[in-house]
Amino acid sequence: MDESAQRVLEHLTEVEVAAEDILTDKQQIVDLDVRRNRNREALSALRNNSPNDNVKVCFGNMFIKFPQESTRSMILKDQEQLDKEITDLRTRLKAKVNRLNELQGKPELRGYNLAPLSSDEVKAINSLLKK
Amino acid sequence: MAAQVATTKVPEVRDITRIERIGAHSHIRGLGLDDALEPRQVSQGMVGQLASRRAAGLILEMIKDGQIAGRAVLIAGQPGTGKTAIAMGIAQSLGPDTPFTALAGSEIFSLEMSKTEALSQAFRKAIGVRIKEETEIIEGEVVEIQIDRPATGTGAKVGKLTLKTTEMETIYDLGTKMIESLSKERVQAGDVITIDKATGKISKLGRSFTRARDYDAMGAQTQFVQCPEGELQKRKEVVHTVSLHEIDVINSRTQGFLALFSGDTGEIKSEVREQINAKVSEWREEGKAEIIPGVLFIDEVHMLDIECFSFLNRALESDLSPVLIMATNRGITRIRGTNYQSPHGIPIDMLDRLLIIATTPYTEKETRQILKIRCEEEDVELSEEAHTVLTRIGQETSLRYAIQLISTAGLVCRKRRGTEVQVEDIKRVYSLFLDEARSSQYMKEYQDSFLFNETQTSQMDTS
Repeated sequence: MDESAQRVLEHLTEVEVAAEDILTDKQQIVDLDVRRNRNREALSALRNNSPNDNVKVCFGNMFIKFPQESTRSMILKDQEQLDKEITDLRTRLKAKVNRLNELQGKPELRGYNLAPLSSDEVKAINSLLKK
Repeated sequence: MAAQVATTKVPEVRDITRIERIGAHSHIRGLGLDDALEPRQVSQGMVGQLASRRAAGLILEMIKDGQIAGRAVLIAGQPGTGKTAIAMGIAQSLGPDTPFTALAGSEIFSLEMSKTEALSQAFRKAIGVRIKEETEIIEGEVVEIQIDRPATGTGAKVGKLTLKTTEMETIYDLGTKMIESLSKERVQAGDVITIDKATGKISKLGRSFTRARDYDAMGAQTQFVQCPEGELQKRKEVVHTVSLHEIDVINSRTQGFLALFSGDTGEIKSEVREQINAKVSEWREEGKAEIIPGVLFIDEVHMLDIECFSFLNRALESDLSPVLIMATNRGITRIRGTNYQSPHGIPIDMLDRLLIIATTPYTEKETRQILKIRCEEEDVELSEEAHTVLTRIGQETSLRYAIQLISTAGLVCRKRRGTEVQVEDIKRVYSLFLDEARSSQYMKEYQDSFLFNETQTSQMDTS
C-alpha cells in the first residue's frame, strides 16, 4: 500500500473510532435510563405498600428480604448516582460529537456550546421563540 | 412515510407562492464565486462585474467569520449596473442565520417616527442574538392508559400510564392533575406524546405507525410518526436566533389589550435599549448568548440627509453595530439638508470610513447573458434574432428598459399564440412603450402643449 492510501485508511479509522465511541455512549445513556425508570417504578411500588412489611429485593439471581426503609434509601442513592452519570455522559457526548464533526470536515454546530437560558428568561421571551 | 410527506409539503407550498411573483432581482442566488473567491463569469444569476463581485466576496467572508463589525461599505455605480444585485447576492450567500435588513434611503422619513429612531431600529434589526433553550422531556409511545375512577363518583382518580420507546418500556403512576391533562389532550393508546418535565405540559406528536391499522376510518389530519428511539427521558436543546429589535419590542410593550396590536410602529425608549444591551452583554459573559453582527443594507443612500449621516457616523462606533452596506448611483451632488456638494452626496467624513466598491457598465456580451437569465426567470422563450435585437436595445437605452420589454413582448407573443418571441413582438412593444431617451425627446418636441410647461427650465431637484 502506498503512503496516501495508508493515510486515508488511518483517517477513516480515526473517524470510525470516534463514531463508535459516540454510539457506545448513547447506548449507555439508554441503559442507564432503563435502570433509572426501573428504580422509579420500584419506588412507587414501595410507596403503595403497607409501610412495616419487609420487602423482597432481587440481588443478582437471589431474592433477599429487606427492611423497607433501607431499601428505599438504597434505591434513592442509586437514583442520584444514575442522574449524575447520565448528565456526565451527556456533557462528554457534546465534545465527542464536535470532534467527530471536525474529523469529517463538517462545520461546527452553531450555538452548540451555549449555556441555556434560565426558565424565567425563556418565559420572558417566549413569544419570540414560539413563532 | 406519510408523516414525512406531510411535513415536506408545507415548505413546498411556500415555494410555489414565492415563485409566482417575479421581482427584479429574483434570479440572484448568490455572488457566484468559487471556493478561492474567484468570480465565475456567469454563476448564480450574476454576470460580469468581476472586480466588484470579488470585493463583495471578500467582505462576505469577513462578515461570515464575524471579524468585521461596525464597518461600512459603499457600492457606487451608474444606474442599472447591478448594485442592488450585488447586495442581494451578499444577502443570499449569508444564509438564513445571519440577519440581513434592507431598506431604501427614503424609507426612514415618516411622520410617526423620527429619522434617527427609524435608523436605530434598522440597526438593531440587523443584529442577531443566538440563545439556547433547554428542556427535559419524557418522550414515548403510549402503550396503555389505565384510569381508575372511585366507585362513589367523587374523590381522587388514580391511574397508570405505560410508555415505551424502541429500547424500553416503563409504567408511570398518575396523579389527578396528569389524568386531567391527558384526557383533555385526548391521549389514547398508540399516540406518541411528550411530557415537559418542568411544567408537566403534554403534547401529542401523532399516532404511531404500528397502530396505523387500529381503526378503518381516521381523521384526515391524523399524523403518523415513528415510535421514538433511545431513552425515555430526553434532554432537548433548541437554538434560537432573535434580533435585538425584537427583544426591544417585547420589553417596550406596555401590558394590556392594545399592546398586542401596537407592534413595532412606536418609538422605543432609549432606556429600554440600554437595559437590553446590558442584559445581552450579561448573557454573553455568562456564555448564554452569542452576538451575530448582521448586515444593514441602505439602498439610494443619497436620500439620507446630513443629520442621518452624522447619526450613522456615531452609530457605527457602538460595539453592537452591524456591517453597513450602502448603494448609490449619484456622482458629485448636493448633500441633502445642506448646500455643500460632495461625491455620491455623502459627507467627506462619512466617505472616509467607507470601503468603496465601484460597479461598471455591462458589456454587450454581459447584457446578452443577463437578458437570457431574465428570460428563463420570467419563463419567456426568445428567438435568436429577437435576443440580438433586445441586447442592442439594452445597450443603447438601458438594461432595465430591455428587461421590461421581455415580459411585455412575452405577452404580445402569447396574444398571437406564438411560442417564441420574434423580432416583430419586440418591435411592437418598442413602439408601444417609450424608453427614457425617446420620452425626453418627445417632451422637448411637444413641451408647449403640456400643462405647467414653464417649470421645465429649472433642473429637477432630487438630491
